[in-house]
Amino acid sequence: MSLLKTILRNPPLLTFLLVALVWLVAGLTLRGFGAFGHLRYLLELASVIGIAAAGQTLVILMGGIDLSVGAVITVTAILLPLLSPAWDPTGLVGVVLALAIAIGIGFLNGLGAAVLRVPPIIMTLAMATFLQGVLVLVAGGSAVTVQNPAVILLGQTRPLGVPAGVVLWVVVSAVVLMLIHRMPIGARFLALGANPLAARLSGVSLTRNTLILYSLSGFFAGLAGILLLGMNRQGYVGIGDPYLLTSIAAVVLGGTSILGGRGTYAGTIPGALLLVTTTALITVVNASPGWRSIMFGSLILGLLLISGREARR
Amino acid sequence: MTLATSSSLYRAVQRRRNRGLLGLYIVVTAFLILYAVLFPGILSVGGFSKFTQNWFPLALVAMAQALLMLNGGITLAIGPMVSLGAVIAATTMGGPLGTFGGFLAVAAAGLCIGAATGAIVALLRLPAIIVTLAGSFIISGVALIMLPRPGGFVPEWLSTLLAGHTPMAFLLLVLILGLWKIFLATPLGLGIYAAGDNPVGAYRSGVPIDRVKIVSFALSGLLAALAGLFVAAQTGSGDPIIGTPFTLNSIAAAVLGGVGFLGGKGTMRGAVCGSLLLSVMINVMFFLGFPPVAQYVAQGLIIVGAVAVPELLGRWRTNR
Repeated sequence: MSLLKTILRNPPLLTFLLVALVWLVAGLTLRGFGAFGHLRYLLELASVIGIAAAGQTLVILMGGIDLSVGAVITVTAILLPLLSPAWDPTGLVGVVLALAIAIGIGFLNGLGAAVLRVPPIIMTLAMATFLQGVLVLVAGGSAVTVQNPAVILLGQTRPLGVPAGVVLWVVVSAVVLMLIHRMPIGARFLALGANPLAARLSGVSLTRNTLILYSLSGFFAGLAGILLLGMNRQGYVGIGDPYLLTSIAAVVLGGTSILGGRGTYAGTIPGALLLVTTTALITVVNASPGWRSIMFGSLILGLLLISGREARR
Repeated sequence: MTLATSSSLYRAVQRRRNRGLLGLYIVVTAFLILYAVLFPGILSVGGFSKFTQNWFPLALVAMAQALLMLNGGITLAIGPMVSLGAVIAATTMGGPLGTFGGFLAVAAAGLCIGAATGAIVALLRLPAIIVTLAGSFIISGVALIMLPRPGGFVPEWLSTLLAGHTPMAFLLLVLILGLWKIFLATPLGLGIYAAGDNPVGAYRSGVPIDRVKIVSFALSGLLAALAGLFVAAQTGSGDPIIGTPFTLNSIAAAVLGGVGFLGGKGTMRGAVCGSLLLSVMINVMFFLGFPPVAQYVAQGLIIVGAVAVPELLGRWRTNR
C-alpha cells in the first residue's frame, strides 16, 4: 500500500510504468509491435520529441512557455542545407551555423520576455509567426534535400544497433538532468519558477536567467531540427509544426507543473515515449484522420487524469 | 450604503480598468483614419458593412478568449470550435432541422462542449491550457468526421442577411456587447472578474468559483461556435479547418486589448478594440499589396510592439 502511494506521488515513475504497461500489452496483442526493430523505431521518433521537450521543460520549470519550438525546428531544418558550405567535407560548419541561428532566435525570445516584459506566450507566438513569414521568403516554399555528411551520419547510423539519435537523446538527458538537479543554475531556474519575487530579492537575476533559458530552449529545438532533418533527409516548411504541441504535452504528461517551479526532465523522457507509443497505436488501428485526431486528444486527456493532476495551490 | 458612494466606487473601478486603454484607442483611431484616407469606400454603407463583416468573427473569438482570460483561464480550442460551428451549420441547415434548427444546433454544441471543457478544468483541477489543447484535437476530429471536405449548404437568404450589403454584423456585435454588459451586472458575471482576480478571496466571499468557471467556458464555446456560423454564412459553405488561424488571433487580439494572462485584469471593450486593431492592420496590409509572407512578419512585429511599448513607457514614466 505504501509502495503504491510512493508511485502515485512520483509522476515520472508513474509515467514510466504506464509506458511499460502499454508496451507490454500492445506487444502481446498486436503482431509486430513488440519486434526489436519497431521498438527501436519508436525510440528514434521519441528522441526528436524528447530533445525538443528538453528546452521546453526548462522554460516551463521557470514558469514560461516556448511556442516557437516548432518554428525553430523548421528554421534549422531548412536553413542547414542552405548554410552548409561545399568546401567543408565534415559538414560541421553548417551544423554550428544552424545551431547559432537557433540560439539567436531563443536569445531574442528571452530578450523580449525579460527586457521588453512581453508575456512569454505572446513573445514566442509572435516569434513563430515572424519566422513563418521569413522562412517562406528565404526558402520559397520548396523542400530542400540535405547533403551535409554530419547530419546524415546523425540521422542514419546505428553504432552497435542503437540509432545515433537515441545516443544523442541520452547525452542530452544526462546534461539536462545534471543542469536541473546538480548545478546552481538549475536551482535558480526552479526558484524563479516557484516564486519570482522571492528569487529576485534573494539575488537571482531574472533577466540573465531568462536569457540563458530561452537560448537553451532555442538550442535544443535546433538540435531536434537537425536530428529530424537527418532522419528525414529533407527539410520543408511545416516540418516542425507537430513538435510544438507534442513538446508541451510531453512535459505536462511527465508531471511538470505548467505553472512552473515544480517538476523534472526525468518525467519528460517517459512523457515523450508515451506520446510516440500512443501515436503508433492509433496508426495501427487504421482509422480515418478525424477519428485518429479524436483518439489522440482523448488519450492525452485520459493520460492527464492519471499523471498530470495540478495540485491545488 | 448610499447610491453616491457605490456609483463613485463603480467609476473608480472603471477608471482603473480604462487607464491602459487610452493608448490603444489612439492607435485604433489613427489606423481607422489611415484606412478611411486610403480607401474612402469604407464610409459608404456597403463598404462599412463589408469591413465590419471581416471584423465580426474576429471580434467574437476575441471576446470568447477574453472571457476566459479574465477568469484566469485560456483556451487553445477556439479555432477548432469555429470550424465545428461552421461545419454544423453547413450540414444541418439543409436537413430536416431547417435554418433555425441548425442555428440552435450550433449554439447547443458550443455551449455543451464549452461546459464540458469547463467542468473538466474546474472539477478535475487540470490546467486549462493543456485540457483545451487536447480538446482542440477532439473537436477538430469531430469536424473532420462530420464534413471531410469543404461543402455543405447554407441558405442563400441567411448569407444575404448576415453578410450582405447591410451593417447587420455590426448591429449584432453591438447587441452582443450590450448583453455582455447586462451579464456583468449579474452576480455570476461579477464572479468572473472576482474569481479571476483573487480566487481564494472570491471563494471566501461566497462566489461559486467552479460554477463561474464552467459558465465562462460554456459562454466562450458559444461565442466561438457562433463565429463559425457567421463564417459559414459568409462563405456559403462549411470547411472543417477554416477556423485554424482564429486560435492565435484570438489570443493576440485579447492581449492587444490589454487583457492579462493572470485573470481579473482587462476589459471586454479592450479585447474588442484589440480585435478591431488586428482586423484593420490585416486589411490595410492586404489592400496595400503586401504579400501574405510580409503580413506574417509585420503581424509578429506589431503584436510584440503593441505589448512592449506601453510597458516600456510605463517604466520610463516611473523612473523619471
